[in-house]
Amino acid sequence: MRAYIIRRLAQSVLVVWAVTTIMFFMFRVMPADPTAILLERGLTDEARQALLEQWGLTGSLWDQYVAYLANLLTGDFGSSFLYRKPVWEVLTPLIINTLWIAVPGLLLGAALGAAIGTAVGWAKRGGKLERSGIFLATIIRGVPNFVIGIALLTIFSSTLGWFPGFGMGDPGETTGFARYMTLDFLHHLALPLIAVIIYFMPENLLLMRSGVVENRTEDYIELVRAKGVPQRRVAWHAARNSMLPLITWLFPALAETIAGIVVIEIVFSWPGVGRELVLAVTRQDYPVAQAAFFLLAVMIVIANLAADLVYGKLDPRVVYK
Amino acid sequence: MVAVAPPRSGHRPASPATLAELERLTDRLSRKPAAHLQVESLSIGYSTLRGRFHAVEDISFEVPAGTNLGLVGESGCGKSTVVKTLMGLQPESTEVSGRALLDGRNILGLDENALRDFRWKRISLITQSAMNSLDPVYCIGDQISEAILAHEPVSKATAWARAEQMFALVGLPAGRLYEFPHMFSGGMRQRAVIAMALALNAGLLLADEPTTALDPIMQSQIMTRIRGIHAHMRCSMILVTHDIAVVAETCENIVVMYAGKVAESGPTADVLERPLHPYTMGLKNAFPRLPIRGEPRQPLISIPGVVPNLLLPPPGCRFASRCPFATEVCHSVTPPVVQVGVQRAACHHTDRAAEFRLAAARPDTWRNMRGAA
Repeated sequence: MRAYIIRRLAQSVLVVWAVTTIMFFMFRVMPADPTAILLERGLTDEARQALLEQWGLTGSLWDQYVAYLANLLTGDFGSSFLYRKPVWEVLTPLIINTLWIAVPGLLLGAALGAAIGTAVGWAKRGGKLERSGIFLATIIRGVPNFVIGIALLTIFSSTLGWFPGFGMGDPGETTGFARYMTLDFLHHLALPLIAVIIYFMPENLLLMRSGVVENRTEDYIELVRAKGVPQRRVAWHAARNSMLPLITWLFPALAETIAGIVVIEIVFSWPGVGRELVLAVTRQDYPVAQAAFFLLAVMIVIANLAADLVYGKLDPRVVYK
Repeated sequence: MVAVAPPRSGHRPASPATLAELERLTDRLSRKPAAHLQVESLSIGYSTLRGRFHAVEDISFEVPAGTNLGLVGESGCGKSTVVKTLMGLQPESTEVSGRALLDGRNILGLDENALRDFRWKRISLITQSAMNSLDPVYCIGDQISEAILAHEPVSKATAWARAEQMFALVGLPAGRLYEFPHMFSGGMRQRAVIAMALALNAGLLLADEPTTALDPIMQSQIMTRIRGIHAHMRCSMILVTHDIAVVAETCENIVVMYAGKVAESGPTADVLERPLHPYTMGLKNAFPRLPIRGEPRQPLISIPGVVPNLLLPPPGCRFASRCPFATEVCHSVTPPVVQVGVQRAACHHTDRAAEFRLAAARPDTWRNMRGAA
């Protein structure tokens, strides 16, 4: 088990390094000038040259790359071109903002999807619950997530006026963690959070349903029924076994979903790391964009590792070698 | 062989309180009487895309309390369907008619809640394919405890202690209760399923081909164990099998089924000694016997043909197309059930049974059929 984790961690480091390298060269072969956004402020040629030097964009590509990697190893992502602040300072609050919608959104989406999927899978074949469950899940699954966001905004913000439709509210005087403990913040959080849940749920639901449908006819389910345990308990046996394929899918799918959260952040003007990532790319703010992609890569690699470990917990037949 | 797993961390020997509760539970369970089952004109039908058919038609039999009934017949004749229906495990669209009186109470057509009332408490099941009958993600001990906890108001520790008792009964070490089904061999899984079936000392044990998936040596070990347990527990049992030799060794009574109907029934010794139905005669001959020195080798005779399609059952006797003694009336008129002594057979020609028995022992009697069929 320990040897397995160590080997997987070593592989993960390799993957992250590869992503970092590709990202580094991709930004530098793009025909763009990162100083362009500052040009309108009357930048002279000398000043421009000085900036490039300060940002570490002079010298050969190889030298830049070696310097970048060396800094990265010490945890230094460089400074944002635009904000003139260390990347960490720029990204940290944004990452926290994103976690507020991503973590509860994905957890609730997966849990609700699995629970409803079990109910739909256990329902009478061809019955009302099964048909409406599959119908709704398929529809939502097919709709692009910005449409979900815009629909929520139209209904609950513009028409009914129940929720604010923009940003995450006025921080006021509060700082630090207290900033997130206000009703105003939760009020702003509701719609984007619901959007993430709705966006992530259907696939969980459909996967869980097909697992339960497959498992409910297995011999062992028949024996559980014969034992005379409550129906709920019988359904649980089917659900418990259907979790195995769901987990295999779930963690790698998180990566794709994080891409979806970028869109939701933009629709709701949620100041998260995803929205910043898009802005940074358009502004050629390399350090911020590279750091954001680096974080994404790390998260995806961790998610895959977590999937394998959780799978081993759920399925006693899995042996780590 | 997999090494015996050490007890799960945190597992301690049963506390005095647990042992006291276990003793009360064991005492309570051991005073359960054997169940009496009376099946009256049971028919089980399915609707399929190609029409409705009866997998089982109008069968009746009785299992007196404490006795053993063998249900035999070739694959697809409806044996397992009967067992599943008695447990209420038939598919939802199944049409069931007739009655099955368990201690005088009809158990057919009950809803899930009423079914829970007798499942495992009064009828338990040893399944056909123990390989797939255990949930792969729970350890065996949890699965046995689950059955106990569903019906008896005892603590989890007591249920587990009871499971340990049952494991001892089937000859498995208690430590293996912590293991998962995939760590067991086929024979061990079958024994685990038997242990589970015994956990609540249900009055009636349904054993649905308990040895089919095992090799011959394991088969005989498991059957010896089932016989021993049956004698020890004094419960009633229905043993479904296509092995007539097992029935001869194990069961007081026998029901021979053919194409969803009862061909012949009665006390096992009488039925196998003097079969009345040509199908029983054929079935008896179709089992291998070791040659005895000095005696002529007993040829192995198979019954030609296959069970008829139940979607379009032939008129008359369902066995007629494969029967070497069939006459005109057999192909047109459904045979009545004739009582001869203690035996009952559904055949037009029970009066000529003695003559048929002699002919049926000769291989050419059946071989000549093959051209005709």
